[in-house]
Amino acid sequence: MTIRRHGVRCAAILALALLSACGDGSSGGSGAKSITLYTCVDDTTIGPVIDAFKKANPGTDVELFRAPTGDLNARIAGDVRSGGLKADVVWACDPLTMADYTAQDLVGGWTPKTSIPADYRTDDYVGVAMLYLVAVTHDGVPVPKAWSDLTGPEYAAGVAIPDPSVAASALGGLGYFASSPDYGIDFYSTLKDNGATQVSTPDDVVTGVAEGTYDAGITIASSAYAAQTAGSPIEVSWPSPGAIGIYGPIALSKNASNATTAKDFISYVASKEGQTVLADSGSYPTLEGVSGPTKPAHARVVFPDWTALSTSKDDLLAAYQNLFGG
Amino acid sequence: MSTDALELRGLSVSYGGAPALTDVHLTVAAGEMVALLGPSGSGKSTLLHTVAGFHAPRAGEVWLGGQRVAAPEGGEPPERRGVAMVFQNYALWPHLTALDTVAYPARRRGLRRSQARAEAMAILERLQVAHLAHRRPSELSGGEQQRVGLGRALARQAALYLFDEPTAHLDTHVRGVFLEELLTRRRETGAAALYATHDAEEALGVADRVVLLAAGRVVQVGTPEEVYRRPVDVWAARLTGSASVLTGPAGEVLVRPEWARLGGDRTAQIADVWFRGPHSDYLLNTPDGRLLVREPGSPRHRAGDTVAWTLLESWALDGAPGRRGQESSNLAGPE
Amino acid sequence: MGVAALLVVVLPLVKMIRTAWLEGSGNLGDVVSRPGLGAAVTHSILLAIAVTALAVPGGALLAIALRRSDLPGRRLLLLGVLLPVLVPDFVLGYSWLRAYGGAGFTDDLLGVAWDGIQGPLGVTVVVAVNAVPLAYVVAAVGLAARAEPSLERAARAAGAGPVTVLRTITVPLLGPALAAASILVFVLTLGTFAIPQVMGAPTGFATVTTRIYANLSRSSDPAAFIEAILLALLLVVIAVVVVAPADQLLGPRLRATRTAATDPAATAGGTRKPGRWITATISGYLLLTVGLPLVALVATALTQAVGLSPTPSNWTLDNFRAVITVRNQEALGRSALLALAAASILVVLGGCVAALERTRFGRSTGTLVMLTFVLPGSTLAVGLLITYGRWLGDTALIILLAYLAKLWAFAHRPISGAVDRLPPDELSASRVSGASPLVALRTVVLRPLAPALVAAWLVCFLTALHEVTMSSLLYGPGSETFAVVVLNSAELGQVGRTSALSVLLTLLILAPAGLCWWAVRRLDLRPAPSSESVDVD
Repeated sequence: MTIRRHGVRCAAILALALLSACGDGSSGGSGAKSITLYTCVDDTTIGPVIDAFKKANPGTDVELFRAPTGDLNARIAGDVRSGGLKADVVWACDPLTMADYTAQDLVGGWTPKTSIPADYRTDDYVGVAMLYLVAVTHDGVPVPKAWSDLTGPEYAAGVAIPDPSVAASALGGLGYFASSPDYGIDFYSTLKDNGATQVSTPDDVVTGVAEGTYDAGITIASSAYAAQTAGSPIEVSWPSPGAIGIYGPIALSKNASNATTAKDFISYVASKEGQTVLADSGSYPTLEGVSGPTKPAHARVVFPDWTALSTSKDDLLAAYQNLFGG
Repeated sequence: MSTDALELRGLSVSYGGAPALTDVHLTVAAGEMVALLGPSGSGKSTLLHTVAGFHAPRAGEVWLGGQRVAAPEGGEPPERRGVAMVFQNYALWPHLTALDTVAYPARRRGLRRSQARAEAMAILERLQVAHLAHRRPSELSGGEQQRVGLGRALARQAALYLFDEPTAHLDTHVRGVFLEELLTRRRETGAAALYATHDAEEALGVADRVVLLAAGRVVQVGTPEEVYRRPVDVWAARLTGSASVLTGPAGEVLVRPEWARLGGDRTAQIADVWFRGPHSDYLLNTPDGRLLVREPGSPRHRAGDTVAWTLLESWALDGAPGRRGQESSNLAGPE
Repeated sequence: MGVAALLVVVLPLVKMIRTAWLEGSGNLGDVVSRPGLGAAVTHSILLAIAVTALAVPGGALLAIALRRSDLPGRRLLLLGVLLPVLVPDFVLGYSWLRAYGGAGFTDDLLGVAWDGIQGPLGVTVVVAVNAVPLAYVVAAVGLAARAEPSLERAARAAGAGPVTVLRTITVPLLGPALAAASILVFVLTLGTFAIPQVMGAPTGFATVTTRIYANLSRSSDPAAFIEAILLALLLVVIAVVVVAPADQLLGPRLRATRTAATDPAATAGGTRKPGRWITATISGYLLLTVGLPLVALVATALTQAVGLSPTPSNWTLDNFRAVITVRNQEALGRSALLALAAASILVVLGGCVAALERTRFGRSTGTLVMLTFVLPGSTLAVGLLITYGRWLGDTALIILLAYLAKLWAFAHRPISGAVDRLPPDELSASRVSGASPLVALRTVVLRPLAPALVAAWLVCFLTALHEVTMSSLLYGPGSETFAVVVLNSAELGQVGRTSALSVLLTLLILAPAGLCWWAVRRLDLRPAPSSESVDVD
């Protein structure tokens, strides 16, 4: 009896102490100058940007949820199910995903004053980072001149492509190729017939090609150049008609509990200062005059028609998944 | 010589460096029953387990029926030594019925299941536990379990039986009956046996010869009569029963309780009295030391009384360790 | 105690059934007919069967082999066999990929790669390797409790050779323990998530758990949400269907086993020197299943860039530097704090339940504890998410809650076992000698219980530290655990950084484990109760 009573009292005290300690340490987001950011931007970039923002705005804090686009979608859907978006700022990796969020009336309605080109802006969000979908080949494998080369016999040993339901860049690529009169969705069926394999993320593509599992792959430039710089035996190429440019937009949540700091953050990322930090961390900025990572001279970039794509996205994904599976 | 059922030549066994048996020499003739008597930790079990093949000797050899089965460089595995064993904790297999347990050795001899079971049933019948044939150990009493254990040993049809304190875990009232059964069956087989026990009465009662073990060494070997009447030292004497030591002019002598009686020409004061049922024990303060005297019947005196007594027999101890005692009568009364 | 169980286990289950009913009743047909669902269920069940068939005999063989006291290097082997327990399962899976996969260690050095490693076969083998220590521990405890050396000696003396003894005595005696191990391994495999996720998901091999994860973390489709709930419920139904009859059937027999004093020095062997072969075989097994993969993992973490050979000339600490970020350090601290809190609360709770169990009222708590054990982590997480997500969704509290619910059995078993073994007379003796109840508790109860308490604490702490099944479903902004960081990194495909993170996590676990091991031995407390920590009887 006594053992029991004593034990219960101990348990209660201990539990209370630890629960409160835990709560203090980890439940944030409600502080006066603290915001919650949902993003798919790479760790190597998001960390320095947040640090620089906090340095420039003392007293602020940024709670971060970082995941690939697919996971981010699920997270936001879960939020909506249980009472509404919990983020103050959403920073996506492609305009299609962001267009989805604005269509659901989750984000938008405000953009900062910035000289980022109008091509990367709408009334609801502003593109603050660029992803370039490029080709990567293992050392010694012929470099593709055009995207269509990847369906040729030189690459029959294996081309890795990222999964558009996971990675926004891959979705942008799918959008470009499917809507281009020279390629169409047939490009993917030809790739598949030529032995192409779907992997998960652009990093997976780089890893697979660097290790020689695949001869070539489609991936994002920043990831490929980072591996090449570190010494991976790969070549990066920008096949014609050009690398596919996908801009990553940032937007204010309509549910923002701390709109002031949220706007400050967005403005900071879109500012020259913020764009410079972003560029130094290995991502491509959208603000002109800020130099980013490697980009070959005369490199050409093509852009998908985002407005047209926003209506056909689901059909495209379905058609793609018919080929490569879910 | 080597047609003895068992011969141990200078056997030494150690556990992780600590000696458990040291230089043991012993023979058990065919059909002979030898008791190993010693306190716990004296090496009885180790000796039996070494003979059975569960321990390897550090030095010396084990011979069974003229065959060398164990030496430091290697030996026969237990199943090829042809010895049967009864264990202190019964060692019955919880998943087998009594019948299958007793049939087990026959199965290992290559008999078919039905034959082995028939043979086992016969053994169980002889042990009067045939009605328990289909029970598992958890459904048997201690005495019943040990009968099954004995049945299993009998089924082995061995030339040498090893009994490792088979009655140690049995209740007193079951012990005698079981022991009788064991002795009868062993005699029927005509096989030799080595019987380990820490109970002096049991050892003296069952064996043709008794081996006294102390700290892994053989202290004395002899017939029950010899080890009882002519122990090599006080320790050996006390191991085999009660004994008093009196110091006389010619040195120390050993006196068993029944070697003296009340009445006679000497006097002493009674220090204590115990009623033991069939007899009573009196502890006397004699001028030569304290003496225990055993008399039939209920106590006739009380502590503090002065009584007369007579010494009938005594055994002289030399004091010097290792030297044999000798029969003496210099302290004995004229009667 | 009942209220606690109600809150963390029963209420979420009810809420799940309700949600599935309310939101899913209209389009249940659509949900059930979603492509891949049937395959995932089949995969899960087949995987559980295959892993049980591999791991249980493996564990039993190890237990039998390692019982020989005269085995060369036995102490090291005993430690080595338990090592996979300390390596987080997804780290094990990931390091296998680095060791034996295409462009892995053996591929680089010998040109030998196992093509099927990413897929059902690889998943089965690695989950089995991960489950072997568990089966081993249950079998070893069973051996110690039932197969006393004298039983085997009796068989040898009755004329049976070593192999016959194994066949006719040892294995039949192990029966109940093997059955218990089978149930345990089956249920745990059913709920296993990380290895299938890391090794199977990339090639499209989905199990129920990875599909729940995909539905919740990868899809914004409402039907996927309903499917996740249904799958979570299905998982618990399968587990209960398997465990309940088995527990009924085996329960009494398992509980009836007497606990004999174990005599590690005793062997049933003959007088012959035992095989160095056994030692060599076990060492080889450990080397191949744990040693080489971990070496490959470290080599990958140290290698400058993917695609370079893992030779010293390419070594750098850059990957480690890249992962030691403020955010990761926070996650690490959070994981440590969560594990610390969970383990400490659980040990106290476990003690309470064990004490309660001695009263008539408390008998049923044992059954409740069993329920939390059978409940797969994914199910528990989904249930907690829909029950408490609205309030606790973004805090680490919901993860703590999940740990408390899931690890309850881990704390309860060893403590309850130790309390059962406590001779009641000792407490009475101290009271009779003048000790007050509290003093008696402190002086004679706590000391013999200490090894069990330490073991329970350690098991909970380490398990919580590398738990990822539930935290990967429950984490939010600011409540990422370190294990989730590693899993996410693995999913991003950053090989070097993932390896570096995995190495760090493994070190994080090995360090306190080693420390506690040392402390336990230093205190001269027998670590024996830890071997019973996962006994399910």
